[in-house]
Amino acid sequence: MSASDDANDTNDTNDTNGADDAGGIDLEAYADVWVFVEVHDGDVMAVSWELLEEGKKLTAKTGEDLVALVIGEDLDAVVREALERGADRVLVADDPVFEPYRADPYGAQFRAMVEERKPSIVLIGGTHTGRDFAGRVAVPTHAGLTADVTEIDVDDDGLLQARRPAFGGDILATILCEEHRPQMATVRPGVFEPGEPDLDGDFATVDEAITAVDVVVDESETISEVLERNVGDTTDITEADRIVAVGAGIEGDLEPAIDLAEALGAELVASRAAVDEGWVDGSRQVGQTGKTVRPELYVALGISGAIQHVEGMNKSGTVIAINTDPNAPIFEHADYGIVGDFADVCPRLAKSLRERDLAEVMP
Amino acid sequence: MTWTIVVGVKQVPDAKEVGIDPDTGRLDRANAPAVMNPPDRHALEAALSIKDVVDARVVAITMGPPMATPVLEEAVAMGCDDAVLITDRAFAGSDTWPTSLTLASAADTLGADVVVCGEETTDSSTGQVPPGIAAHNGWAQLTYVEDLEPRPDEDRLVAVRDVEGGYERVAAELPVVVAVAYGEFDPRPAGLHRKLYAENDFEPIEWTAADLGIEDEVGLDVSPTSVGGMETVDPVDRRGEVVDDVDELASRLAEVIA
Ligand SMILES: Cc1cc2nc3c(=O)[nH]c(=O)nc-3n(C[C@H](O)[C@H](O)[C@H](O)COP(=O)(O)OP(=O)(O)OC[C@H]3O[C@@H](n4cnc5c(N)ncnc54)[C@H](O)[C@@H]3O)c2cc1C
Repeated sequence: MSASDDANDTNDTNDTNGADDAGGIDLEAYADVWVFVEVHDGDVMAVSWELLEEGKKLTAKTGEDLVALVIGEDLDAVVREALERGADRVLVADDPVFEPYRADPYGAQFRAMVEERKPSIVLIGGTHTGRDFAGRVAVPTHAGLTADVTEIDVDDDGLLQARRPAFGGDILATILCEEHRPQMATVRPGVFEPGEPDLDGDFATVDEAITAVDVVVDESETISEVLERNVGDTTDITEADRIVAVGAGIEGDLEPAIDLAEALGAELVASRAAVDEGWVDGSRQVGQTGKTVRPELYVALGISGAIQHVEGMNKSGTVIAINTDPNAPIFEHADYGIVGDFADVCPRLAKSLRERDLAEVMP
Repeated sequence: MTWTIVVGVKQVPDAKEVGIDPDTGRLDRANAPAVMNPPDRHALEAALSIKDVVDARVVAITMGPPMATPVLEEAVAMGCDDAVLITDRAFAGSDTWPTSLTLASAADTLGADVVVCGEETTDSSTGQVPPGIAAHNGWAQLTYVEDLEPRPDEDRLVAVRDVEGGYERVAAELPVVVAVAYGEFDPRPAGLHRKLYAENDFEPIEWTAADLGIEDEVGLDVSPTSVGGMETVDPVDRRGEVVDDVDELASRLAEVIA
């Protein structure tokens, strides 16, 4: 991105609360909390259910409806699950034009729904997809959009308080949208807990709760075309209890890390530097532009501890760092550390752990 | 046909040098040196890589104060043909909405076929300006781009995009806005001659909000978002204990997972 989007900047003492009236919209005409349910090939991104659960807390305060928005193709199972997970109502746009995802049809459809139905708050997962199309809704509707939010709340007047880390996480800025609607936010995956679906719930009123909306997009009007889609591993690292993370310091030598991960029953993740090298898939990146994880154990191998990385793993229980550089910042963000070569430490650590396990099962 | 490629660049405080003022708890950016937003270097490389294969003119643009001119000089030194400084008091307080409007109208005025941006800035990190530019102009967009295949014969640009768990190849009609995934497109070094030219002889074109006809649509008053407050985040308390041998580390680990 370029240029100065200063409202989300952090040095300005911004004591003016936005415009007096930038178009004179009737704030009262807007109601309800919408949560976008992101679906690819029938699979729902976990952040959608995290947001639905968080949305419940907002509507409990505002007394409004919690509305799930489902866009894609062949969505019956997803619609049902949204109700099981607590949506009061579901809006469905079911059409082949929406699969696979493209920014222009998603943006146009979402925008039409927003303009017609006037939600007060719209929450979208801060995934590549969510961050890709959110602006295509917020810009034409002149909505306030706060990116990459990690805390959300509403005040007594229903005004959304969207908090986001600024400057790599040293500061938490509260962003408000006082004179425009809807109040939109993309929310970082992994920071909220998803709720449990209520599988025994009485969904007798299901039909009334589901609205099939008019599909306003036509394939002939689209300006982009997906030529090829290659998606394999989509393991959700945000759910892992134990994590082994690798950084640039492993120099492509994954084996010792995998060995340690196996000994621990841990998921393998990576810093951006390791992802950029192609050693580990991007869906396993932790940090500001990756995911937020909060395992009970986080073992960092050959990771320097840049602020953008630490931001994504700061919620971990115990952090262990293995690094050759005694001055690496990661040691300040770790509970236990050892100065050493990961290729040397990992196998010995794995061996020691396996021996302990053995000792425990032996009579 | 010659493509016009516009690259958005921004001057940011050097993230490594930004501290927190202990008295106010606010970020102290005044003393941090200003540098080019690191992801924008990759955007410049992506733009120049298109020019390597397509007949094109590459123009760098920045919205900022006159003192942001060095980022345009750097862009010209790297190989951009021209550069535009969009500068005006009227822009003060702009959030992503008017910022992307400004860049969108500049791109339109320049007759852009392709707009290339970095993934996000290190100071604001919203990543919302590239989609905002596309949305204001009703253009196609390609974000998280890892590779580009220009198709001048089809008037399309094909990109490999990073998606959850893999990648996809997407073709977009021109004009199109591209946001380059940070870390992709290794920036080329500036040549000595270009560097000397950029620093000594080059002058950027300067535009105001009125030049773009958007003087009533920018600044604080049209910005839908505002900053309601800021808190410093307490660092997570960690033990910071460095142990000497692997067995001891294994015991610590075993305690955690017991
Ligand atoms: C806009 C933006 C967004 C970003 N988003 C993210 C993000 O989401 N996630 C992220 O991780 N980063 C992100 N970054 C990048 C971040 O700033 C760092 O560049 C990155 O985290 C560094 O990765 P690293 O620690 O793996 O590599 P390095 O910083 O290169 O560190 C490698 C470490 O390995 C150690 N080492 C070397 N050899 C060995 C060995 N044999 N054994 C043990 N240790 C060894 C070295 O001492 C060093 O400390 C972002 C940057 C920007 C500008």
